[in-house]
Amino acid sequence: MSQEPDVVTRRDFLRTSVLGAALSWTVPLFIERTFSALDAEAAESSLPVATGKDHPILVVLQLAGGNDGLNAVVPYVDDAYYRARPTIGIAKDKVVNLNGHIGFNSALAPFKTLYDEGHLALLQGVGYPNPNRSHFRSTEIWQTASDPNKIVRTGWLGRYFDNCCSGEGATVGVALGGQLPQAFTSDNPTGITLSPGSRLGFAKETDASEQAVFNQLNGIDHDTVSGASIGELSGPNSSGMTAIEYLQRTALDAQIGTDKIAEILRRVKPEAIYPKTQLANSLSLISRLITGGLPTRVYYASQGGYDTHNAQENSHNRLLGELANAVSAFCQDLKSKGIFDQVMIITFSEFGRRVAENASKGTDHGTAAPMFISGGAIKPGIYGRPPSLEQLDAGDLIYNVDFRSVYATILNRWLKAPVSKVLGRDFNPLAFV
Amino acid sequence: MLTPLPSSKWDYDAAGHLLVRAGFGGSIAEIQDLTNRGMQQSLEKLLNSVPAASIPPTWAYANSLRDLLDQIRSSTTPEEKVKARQAFNKANQGQMADLIQWWTQLMTDTNAPLLEKMTLFWHGHFATSATKVKPAYKMWLQNQTLRAHALGNFGTLTKAVSRDPAMLVWLDLASSQKERPNENFARELMELFTLGEGNYTETDIKESAKAFTGYRINRIDQQFRFAANQFDSSIKVFMKKAGPWNGDQIINIILEQPQCARFVVTKIWRFFVYEDPDASLVDELATKFRQAHYEIKPLLRTIFSSEEFYSDRAKGAIIKSPVQYLVQARRSLGVYAPAGRVLANIYRQLGQVPFYPPNVKGWDGGKSWINTGTLTYRYQIARALINGIRPEQAGLPKFPAKTAASTRQEPQGQNAVASMPSNLDGTPGQAVTPFPPLTPPWPVEKYVNSEDRSDVQRLLEKLYTQTFQSRPQPDLLKNFVKVASNKPLPLDDGSIRDLVMLMMTTPNYQVS
Repeated sequence: MSQEPDVVTRRDFLRTSVLGAALSWTVPLFIERTFSALDAEAAESSLPVATGKDHPILVVLQLAGGNDGLNAVVPYVDDAYYRARPTIGIAKDKVVNLNGHIGFNSALAPFKTLYDEGHLALLQGVGYPNPNRSHFRSTEIWQTASDPNKIVRTGWLGRYFDNCCSGEGATVGVALGGQLPQAFTSDNPTGITLSPGSRLGFAKETDASEQAVFNQLNGIDHDTVSGASIGELSGPNSSGMTAIEYLQRTALDAQIGTDKIAEILRRVKPEAIYPKTQLANSLSLISRLITGGLPTRVYYASQGGYDTHNAQENSHNRLLGELANAVSAFCQDLKSKGIFDQVMIITFSEFGRRVAENASKGTDHGTAAPMFISGGAIKPGIYGRPPSLEQLDAGDLIYNVDFRSVYATILNRWLKAPVSKVLGRDFNPLAFV
Repeated sequence: MLTPLPSSKWDYDAAGHLLVRAGFGGSIAEIQDLTNRGMQQSLEKLLNSVPAASIPPTWAYANSLRDLLDQIRSSTTPEEKVKARQAFNKANQGQMADLIQWWTQLMTDTNAPLLEKMTLFWHGHFATSATKVKPAYKMWLQNQTLRAHALGNFGTLTKAVSRDPAMLVWLDLASSQKERPNENFARELMELFTLGEGNYTETDIKESAKAFTGYRINRIDQQFRFAANQFDSSIKVFMKKAGPWNGDQIINIILEQPQCARFVVTKIWRFFVYEDPDASLVDELATKFRQAHYEIKPLLRTIFSSEEFYSDRAKGAIIKSPVQYLVQARRSLGVYAPAGRVLANIYRQLGQVPFYPPNVKGWDGGKSWINTGTLTYRYQIARALINGIRPEQAGLPKFPAKTAASTRQEPQGQNAVASMPSNLDGTPGQAVTPFPPLTPPWPVEKYVNSEDRSDVQRLLEKLYTQTFQSRPQPDLLKNFVKVASNKPLPLDDGSIRDLVMLMMTTPNYQVS
């Protein structure tokens, strides 16, 4: 481990000025050294160090399993809807009218409030050509933004990180849940995963030579990173990493990233307004990390359970209610902290569901579905057309908004990123930003 | 062409590799025993060991579940029903924790490790989660079904799984109706269990869904029941063949497809050898597999005796699953594993809870096991296993910790991204459930004698061999020697534990 006096000076400087005193008694010595040294190198480099205060943030909510769009945004004046869904159709008196043609399922009532306040955009009929009805393949298509007949290894957010965020370190993407989403997959693995109930940071090492060996074997040896900034570590040059290389890289990210997060979570406490659901927990945590200034561009959280093949009424309404209440609390929280303008929240699901209900009072896999976009700086409204219930493709809705034009809008107008570099080509943007 | 490993290349490292991959590793003595037996005999031992009779969990009989469910059904008021349901959930949570421990114990103690490893493989293949199925008894029954056919015949296994009560709930077959049948099972049967995406049409799904009608669960004995009046006996056109097909006949037609053998062989190869087998290798194995009528043992025999299985490409290519990580640590090092909900919670934080796969596709495995969260936890748990587990290290949230409130919130879809209750919060000082004392520290004296303590090189060769299940690689070993050389001789228990811990917190330990 490097011991030059000037490095120590910078470390001391960072410890007291940037990180505060908290670090010195909670973080094990050798991790602190590694962290501070690397951070010093980053601070020295000419790259601008992003902070949570001055750049747009995207929060992606995945509704896993295939959200039944027609029972979320209900075409309640269309008789064809009730003919296709005699038992599970949402009754007219359970619909909150939006524009005289469609309305929100009343479980989504908080979304109507956001909409009225000018903080919600509804995108209708979002999908892609030749829709795939497999959960896994369709999720992959959404996550990688590929053409439906092409396999793409990297995720659309991973490519954004690679192209636009080099030098910002692993915390540029933070996923809540047990696994890094495929959307984050990049040539160079990036992103921090916070598992539910996880403890942050590595355990304490005490012996100096043990630390050194640990660092070396986990790719944290100073001999190999000295002179390299964090930016170079995130350079797009390590595709096809071996298992060992991948493990080393992750160990390094974990050491640097999770310590920052732990520090913020000690400092910023949760607000009381969140419902007691897993999704709301995730959003509460994201709010704390944003408030604490984590330099994260994209947060990712997920709500499962949308695969409603069977007796869907109660479970689907409950999921929608959880979603709307959690997002509503999150928006309120951001508003009161004065950072709502800085955040955009989007929802997506791998597909909608079949128009006609099945005999188990549920719905099978379908195609196009709505997306919800909220935030303080978005342009509210209803975008895209409601898909026809008469003209169907094999019993399924026909999309009219390609999900990649939604991504293109977000990349171009929100994240200020070059669309064709991330998506491979340009798509017509929508006007919700 | 796969060629067998020449006997000249059979050595301690090869035996260790086989025992780790085809099982969960073992002691130095066990690996030495396989080394001495030679490859053929070692393989036959793994393939043909008859497991000792295991004792089922105390609640694993149909009446136990029926009693609980009857209480819900016989409730007359909504309040009673809520109470009865809560009582069921509470009992079931305990049973699920039992079940996880029961299987872990079996994997740890078994004299037929390949049978357990294959059962684990099939669990990930026909991935079914208790989040939707609920009763532990059904999950136990499925485990019995998988175990019974784990080394048997793939066709027979698939048919058995199509009638398995947990599967009937999981993919909604038990509620599929003759009129407009539910497509969930039919789709996943082809996409995930037999053929792979892109090798069937949407029409094949719709047609075969009709064949899987009439599948019901007998409420009395919790077994499969065929309801003939719910079966759609009409002519179905499936994979271009017309007939009044039933479910078994659909599976037979699927088994005739060369793609089915390719799909299964690829998945088995990826689980046991490495991620990206060449197409020619897959074709070769698939042809053999089909010619052998989908018998599993001959396929495994071919794989485990091939030179490719012992090649440099294969060695170190697989990231250990959390189950492998824990069970192997127990079998090879002799660390003590905790029990009950603590064990379940450790699994959860490592990213794999048996009986709770994240969705019907099972665990993605490979690099997906590792992210900043799970790797951090692996390093922490290594420390805890060696030093003994204190309650605060065992975990934060209770498992399955479903309060009345969270029960209502639980997603139902099997594709739910694992929906375990969470109380994610990195703040220190949060409440830690007072668990009873958990496990003792690693018993150094059992493995290390006084001579070892004074001879660093000798000690570390021994510890390395035990930890990594192979003879030392000089490059890696010298790092540990360097650390040990700074410590006073003879090395005390604490120093020796630190060294094992250090080995376990290397990237090299995470792979096999």
